[in-house]
Amino acid sequence: MELSRRNFLKSGVAAATAMAVGIPISRIASVAAAETEQDWRWDKGVCRFCGVGCGIMIATQDGKIVATKGDPDAPVNRGLNCVKGYFNGKILYGKDRLTQPLMRMTDGRFDKKGKFAPVTWDQAFDEMAIQFKKAYEEKGPTGIGVIGSGQWLIQEGYAMTKLMKAGFRSNNIDPNARNCMASAVAAFMQVFGIDEPPGNYDDIEYTDTVVAWGANMAEAHPVLWQRVIDRRLGHADMKVVNITTLRNMTSEGSDLEIIIKPNTDTALLNYLAREIIHRDEVNQAFVDAHCVFCAGPTDIGYGMRATDKFAFEAEKDIQAREIEVTLTRDEAIGLGLDPEQVHTIKQANAATADRHWLVGFEDFKTGVEPYTLDFVAELAKGDAEESLDAFKAKLVRLADLYADPKRKMVSFWTMGFNQHVRGTWVNEQIYSVHLLLGKIAEPGNSPFSLTGQPSACGTAREVGTFSHRLPADMVVNIAKHRDITEQTWKLPPKTLNPKPGSHITKIMRDLEDGSMSWVWVQVNNPFQHVANANHWLKAARENDNFIVVSDAYPSISAKVADLILPVAMIFEKWGGYGNAERRTQLWREQVPPPGEARSDLWQILEFSKRITLAEVWKDQAIPGLKDEGFEEGKLPDVMASAQEMGYQPEMTLYEALFETPENKAFAWPDPVAKGHDNHTVKHLGVDWFVEKALFEEYAAFGRGHHHDLAPFDVYYQDDVRGLRWPVVDGKETPWRFNAKYDPYVKNGEIEFYGGAMKELVTGNLTGPTTEEKTKFPGKAKIFFRPYAAPVESPDGNYDLWLCTGRLLEHWHTGTMTRRVPELHRAMPAAVLDMNEKDAEERGLKRQDTVWIESRRGKIKAVIETTGRNRPPRGYSFMAFFDESVFVNKLCIDATCPISKEEDFKKTAIKIYKV
Amino acid sequence: MNISGILVVVPPARIEGATRALNALPGVEVHHTEPTTGRIVVVQEAETVDQEVAALSRIKALSGVMLAEMVYHVFDETPPEWDAIPADMAAS
Ligand code: SF4
Repeated sequence: MELSRRNFLKSGVAAATAMAVGIPISRIASVAAAETEQDWRWDKGVCRFCGVGCGIMIATQDGKIVATKGDPDAPVNRGLNCVKGYFNGKILYGKDRLTQPLMRMTDGRFDKKGKFAPVTWDQAFDEMAIQFKKAYEEKGPTGIGVIGSGQWLIQEGYAMTKLMKAGFRSNNIDPNARNCMASAVAAFMQVFGIDEPPGNYDDIEYTDTVVAWGANMAEAHPVLWQRVIDRRLGHADMKVVNITTLRNMTSEGSDLEIIIKPNTDTALLNYLAREIIHRDEVNQAFVDAHCVFCAGPTDIGYGMRATDKFAFEAEKDIQAREIEVTLTRDEAIGLGLDPEQVHTIKQANAATADRHWLVGFEDFKTGVEPYTLDFVAELAKGDAEESLDAFKAKLVRLADLYADPKRKMVSFWTMGFNQHVRGTWVNEQIYSVHLLLGKIAEPGNSPFSLTGQPSACGTAREVGTFSHRLPADMVVNIAKHRDITEQTWKLPPKTLNPKPGSHITKIMRDLEDGSMSWVWVQVNNPFQHVANANHWLKAARENDNFIVVSDAYPSISAKVADLILPVAMIFEKWGGYGNAERRTQLWREQVPPPGEARSDLWQILEFSKRITLAEVWKDQAIPGLKDEGFEEGKLPDVMASAQEMGYQPEMTLYEALFETPENKAFAWPDPVAKGHDNHTVKHLGVDWFVEKALFEEYAAFGRGHHHDLAPFDVYYQDDVRGLRWPVVDGKETPWRFNAKYDPYVKNGEIEFYGGAMKELVTGNLTGPTTEEKTKFPGKAKIFFRPYAAPVESPDGNYDLWLCTGRLLEHWHTGTMTRRVPELHRAMPAAVLDMNEKDAEERGLKRQDTVWIESRRGKIKAVIETTGRNRPPRGYSFMAFFDESVFVNKLCIDATCPISKEEDFKKTAIKIYKV
Repeated sequence: MNISGILVVVPPARIEGATRALNALPGVEVHHTEPTTGRIVVVQEAETVDQEVAALSRIKALSGVMLAEMVYHVFDETPPEWDAIPADMAAS
């Protein structure tokens, strides 16, 4: 490029940057900006990477993305992006982008042991259908599964949920969001009876305090962190606290860093509750009016299999704890038991871990009473080199901040809480602290669960793509919810399967034990991201099953698949996401997908054309189904009632579920497109606007039921940058449960109106004592939950903690970010961060290549002792983006027994030189 | 060739020194400053995105810099290349 042109372009970029962030510039400069951009078409979009949900503007020319910028009008990020956001345009153009279907073949036929060869879409779908029918005929609806995503577009998640639940009558659909936010979801349902946060990001600008609990926001949620830092600079009284198991980038922007031992967050939260009570700072009026107290069982296991039949020899000692466990001394104290006695507990409530009952305030007080400063400080202090007194002073300081009635508090958390064998508990406990203080549901007072993925909320949760859920917070095992869904979907009664399906870890276990033999993966990389990967890789490749992976790049999951379907990426399709603050954002297709790549939605709809109603709406065996109104172990034949409703046995699921008269009424082309294309519609060969029709069909579930979305077209208006639901009478809801902001509050100023689980029996800390149920509509629950030790802790053999997480430059399994070669070079291979003294003790130094071994496998990696993560003694950290350093081969597949989310944060390892 | 527009924020009192320090970085040019708020717009030019990311880290590391984030990005003009089947997959 010649110099003058380049200089001109640079002036243009400078001027446009200044304009984006609101710095006044000269007229000449603004002319330069306009001229630089004159041939480009700009449109709004949403960052494809994290749950913050930053707005970006995308410029295209000749079918390619030529520029992106932070959207100055987006309230989330106000013109800024982090490094990842900056690569939204880049990720489409990786050299190894998949552009045609690939199937394992030998001599022109499918062969599980064959090599990948290109096939046509017809060949791909034909084989997929043959294999589907084989599995489905043999094993029924429980023999097939779908692993979906918190990066699914709203419409994709909705279409797949409908295909699976209404069409195939299978609840074996679960998103990777299970391993990211399921604990947050379970706690929202248990505490509030409705999912997703009361507050929003604007709380940052109203608060006096931000406490990050197990959330390295500086790396994982950078733009939001920037807002926290801005507030700290502009508000003298602002305090920022980082509660973490290792020193990380978030510590740098904090006033107080508290390094704790794994799992002791549960004890620390009980200490705070106890302090609040002892200091007489309970907001009694708030608690009396809006809260009840609850407790639940503690013998709930760790979400592992109840048998060691499939366990490696080395895993068996830990596996045994799923059956029976001896309490640690600290657990005994935390339960109010005599620590000098041996307490051996059978995990009697492993299958009923979410049971809970009402207790009195006095019970709650008794529950938290053992959590004194002395007990908790000894238990929780995570840095051996810190003095106990210094650590105690920090805990007191933290309690001072929370308990101060004049101080506004925001608590943020993510994976440190969620990926936790007691993830649901610890989520509940942070609400307990905020509820005791009444610091909730108003500007600046906000317990806020951050999300990792761009549409963990919008798709995975709101659409209900979990194995137990239906849209708008409904669940499959409540008859009334099935009725509503069957009516909305125009299904014959009893089409829907009442038995919750397999969550993501269980889908893997099902593949291993042979109870499932056909799986379709979309928009995620489960064979890399699910813990204890050695089991699942072997199951995928060696068992008789068929695995389909829709992906843009050859991820590990694509490589273990039998059939790979190339997908259109983010701005190559119409779609929508919902971020962590309930903000729904939609965008247009900006550029065409390459080669034969097609949207996931197109793939779902095309596949649905290959299955007829007669094949699915007949009677079906569902092992273990015991629900009222159903014959045991069976779903009824519904074809007769279907025919009365006008369905024919030979109709395809595409005709019955998707190309309905209502949906066909949404015509394509549509003026909202403003000249943008729609490859999904084009390749389906239809004249209806698939994405709009499905969005509106889905939105019907939530409108009038606390989850109102605006009409599709509204999100495309030039002056709209997403809207926070419920959107009622054209107005979004910034703070829920507060009459000032939320039209759904009907009684009083504050009303926790979520309807789930608001009728319970009463008891004490050990169990229910009555059978009579009490209703408490409009109230939230304050749970007592005791400290529980991790299922696996370092011992003489595996003598170090391993925690996994993510980094600023890379995202999750790195399938996309590793494709930007430059980004990959900036942080080329995952390293094991460890304490220098721990390295020395093992005769190691930084940059040594070592074996890292757990009970489940071993991998090679390079150690780092001076990186940006600084673990205390006894602790190590590794990111999970790098498939060549496959850290999930080491991790334990224990989960929170309530949420079924895996605990990626606590595995015991040993390391030694290669 | 990649060009990016970056917003840098420093304490207003330090804006002159910061401007000098930024201009001294290779490939970095200060284009606009706002003395009252300490905001500076720089343009970063680099052969590769790698160099751009590294340069952003260097900007963040300058003394007094409170914020440095990318706002605007113009992509290089290399056309995308498509590989039908990645070599490592065909062999697997
Ligand atoms: S903070 Fe998250 S949403 Fe915003 S630009 Fe970065 S990755 Fe994208």
